[in-house]
Amino acid sequence: MDRRDFLKLSGGVSAAGLAPEMLWAAEQRSAHLRAKKQRPTTPPAKRKLVLVRLKGGNDGLNTLIPFSQYDHYRELRPTISMPAQIKKLRSRVLDNSGMSLNPYMHRLDKWFDAGDVAWIQGVGYARPVLSHFESSDVWDTAMTHGRHANKGWLAHLLPRMHKNLHGVVLGDELGPMHGKDCHAIAMKSPEVFLSQITLLDEVQPSSTYNPALAHLTNIQSQVLHAKQEFEQKMRRPTQIGGRFANSAFGRQLESVAKMIINDIDAPVYMVELDGFDTHVDQLNQQNHNLSYLSDALDSFATALKQHGHWDNVLVMTYSEFGRRVKENHGRGTDHGAASVQLVMGGAVRGGVYGRNPDLKRLDAQGNLPMTTDFRKVYSTVAQRWMRQPSPWAAYGTLPFV
Amino acid sequence: MNELTFSEARHLIARTGLGAEWGSVRKLEGMSKAKAINYILHPPPSHLRPAPYLSPWNKLEPMRVEGSQTRKNAWVMAQQEGQLLQGWWIDQMLRTRTPFVERMTLFWHNFFTSSLRKTLQPSLLHKQNIMLRQNALGNFRQLLRSVARDPAMLVYLDGYKNLKEEPNENFARELLEIFTVGHGQYTQKDVQEAARAFTGWGVHPENGTFQVRADQHDRGHKIFLRRAGKFNGDHIIDILLQHPRTAERVVEKFWRAFVSDANPPRKIIQIWAKQFYQADYDIKALLRVVLSSNEFWSARYRGTLVKSPVDLLIGTIRTIPYPRETIPEMVNLCRLLGQKLFDPPSVKGWDGGEHWISTQTLLVRASYLAKISRGNLNSKVNTGLRLPAKDGQEMVDWLLAVKPVNSLPEIPGKRRLAHALLRDPAFQVT
Repeated sequence: MDRRDFLKLSGGVSAAGLAPEMLWAAEQRSAHLRAKKQRPTTPPAKRKLVLVRLKGGNDGLNTLIPFSQYDHYRELRPTISMPAQIKKLRSRVLDNSGMSLNPYMHRLDKWFDAGDVAWIQGVGYARPVLSHFESSDVWDTAMTHGRHANKGWLAHLLPRMHKNLHGVVLGDELGPMHGKDCHAIAMKSPEVFLSQITLLDEVQPSSTYNPALAHLTNIQSQVLHAKQEFEQKMRRPTQIGGRFANSAFGRQLESVAKMIINDIDAPVYMVELDGFDTHVDQLNQQNHNLSYLSDALDSFATALKQHGHWDNVLVMTYSEFGRRVKENHGRGTDHGAASVQLVMGGAVRGGVYGRNPDLKRLDAQGNLPMTTDFRKVYSTVAQRWMRQPSPWAAYGTLPFV
Repeated sequence: MNELTFSEARHLIARTGLGAEWGSVRKLEGMSKAKAINYILHPPPSHLRPAPYLSPWNKLEPMRVEGSQTRKNAWVMAQQEGQLLQGWWIDQMLRTRTPFVERMTLFWHNFFTSSLRKTLQPSLLHKQNIMLRQNALGNFRQLLRSVARDPAMLVYLDGYKNLKEEPNENFARELLEIFTVGHGQYTQKDVQEAARAFTGWGVHPENGTFQVRADQHDRGHKIFLRRAGKFNGDHIIDILLQHPRTAERVVEKFWRAFVSDANPPRKIIQIWAKQFYQADYDIKALLRVVLSSNEFWSARYRGTLVKSPVDLLIGTIRTIPYPRETIPEMVNLCRLLGQKLFDPPSVKGWDGGEHWISTQTLLVRASYLAKISRGNLNSKVNTGLRLPAKDGQEMVDWLLAVKPVNSLPEIPGKRRLAHALLRDPAFQVT
């Protein structure tokens, strides 16, 4: 057990003994909240990770707004800095971090106050790549400039800890769960999966020496296993009860909540919210997107809490990159580098982690340099949530869970 | 003696074409092996359908600047036109009378990859496809020279940014690592020297054709793989072709494309590589070696190749003329199955083999096959569907490369049997 684990277990946290990146969190949040934090009641293999991909490159600076540098921020972003909301921004500074949460995400306030939301700032990687495709690959595989990586980061962890279904993707790209030994199922929804699956026949276990056929029948029996799982638990599922955020994204998270509540045995779920590539007229577009995000997360947390699963779930957002600090001529922003990540769950230690962005220290292209390598976040999920050795251990971990 | 049985003829057709067309199989049945292989290797000239309208290079090129506002528009255009281009190739593969040419073009497309995502230039990828087609059965040396001059490749691997004062190593590195000798045969210094030799090879800014900018070419002395000289790109290619590993690497890919997903015996690779080298990299000569080998015909390797998405989607329709999906839907299915044409995942191309099959793609495969073959299975109803094989074993031998895994339906009827065979795991292999 390392020192941080010890601190976590002992519950009572003293600011003095902590790594610098958690100072904000530790100093500013009252210790009694964290002391009350429940440890997840289930073994690591039963814990859930819900990944929310913000597709297109979410602008971190308009998600967590650098209120303490507001004048400079407004100079760089005359039309998208929300001057009309200045009062709101002042009242929405998180703890005393100097960072203000976008007002369109107000539904997250109560969860932040309960200590269930952590923000990680400055997340990215050195020598950032500005192409959507290549940077998504970097995030999916945890390999920078890593040519020909063909395995998602979760595909390094899941096959070791779980035998059957590793994950469910609502969409069609497996992303971080891509990889030969990682068994994830992509579907539009559990309902559509249940109708598609009727087309797949039972297969007799093959004793063939033919390796191609052996692989095929092996995968087929995995799908059939998932079929059983879904037939059993999702044909007539326990309903969530209560109203759920009514957006396309909300319906995705509602499906995830349903699967978790009905005890589908898979450790990872992935959903996606598109539309963050805001080159033109960013303000309304991003604000609306962030409100879809926070409304749906609010419904999700409420549902899981009501059904007693909230302490066993870790929600994490990610995006391929942040955006240029200075706005462009189209009232938007171009591709950037470091951005913020949100982590949420009953076992999360709320707060703001990582250094605040420094608007005066940008890289050659006018982007925020990375201050937290994204693999540090992955390592945290691997070691502190899934309790697995992390392939990225060298990057260290953060104490947000 | 050496006359092909029905199942051998089927094997040759299915492995070299797209699907197992009844007529083609029957045509080769009873022919001698040598004659049948000759027949495959000498396809008649075939008609190539005209390409859809694709925006010219000089319209898209200024929009491609990274991280910019216009790049998004270029991306959307490349995606839309890219889908038309994918549809064009799929349509070609569905209709062609020379599926072997398509298979070989696809083989080289996967060998010398370039992608829509990186280039955002559908028109260049179309031109690259034409170039690969023209060289598909020609000479590997000529092919490699054409690839090094191919505009889509020059953009894809940043060769067009490779200038005297600012050399870009991307193309040089992949040339060594992926296209020829492979990892462990060269040093970083060799990569740098090769990059210098290719400096100035670029794309004409106005019309997107290949050009050599003499003022950007580094004429200096280079040392490459322990040879010294004032090399240019062609010299580098010639040196690489003298290296024994080059032929071996190409031959390994032929093994995986034509014989098996299982690892090849080392000895076989050495023998084939030697023959390829002695034939001065004549592609037809290599194909003749592969198709005549005991390994190609051995029962041991039957059904050990997982069908690629193209094989599954197009080959099935070419085998049995079921009512097919629309071209845009087939483009979409190809993507869902993991083989987005003109857009392979990395410079290594598609992993292929067992990687084609995941829990996700298996479901799509199963529902596609179930859907196209469903129809009316009552044998008394005439649906107009032509199934030339006789009910029973002849159908099985025609549609499957190996014995079915599941038991066959007890109710007789050819349509019912075909439906069952398409849903058998054995249908997924060739």
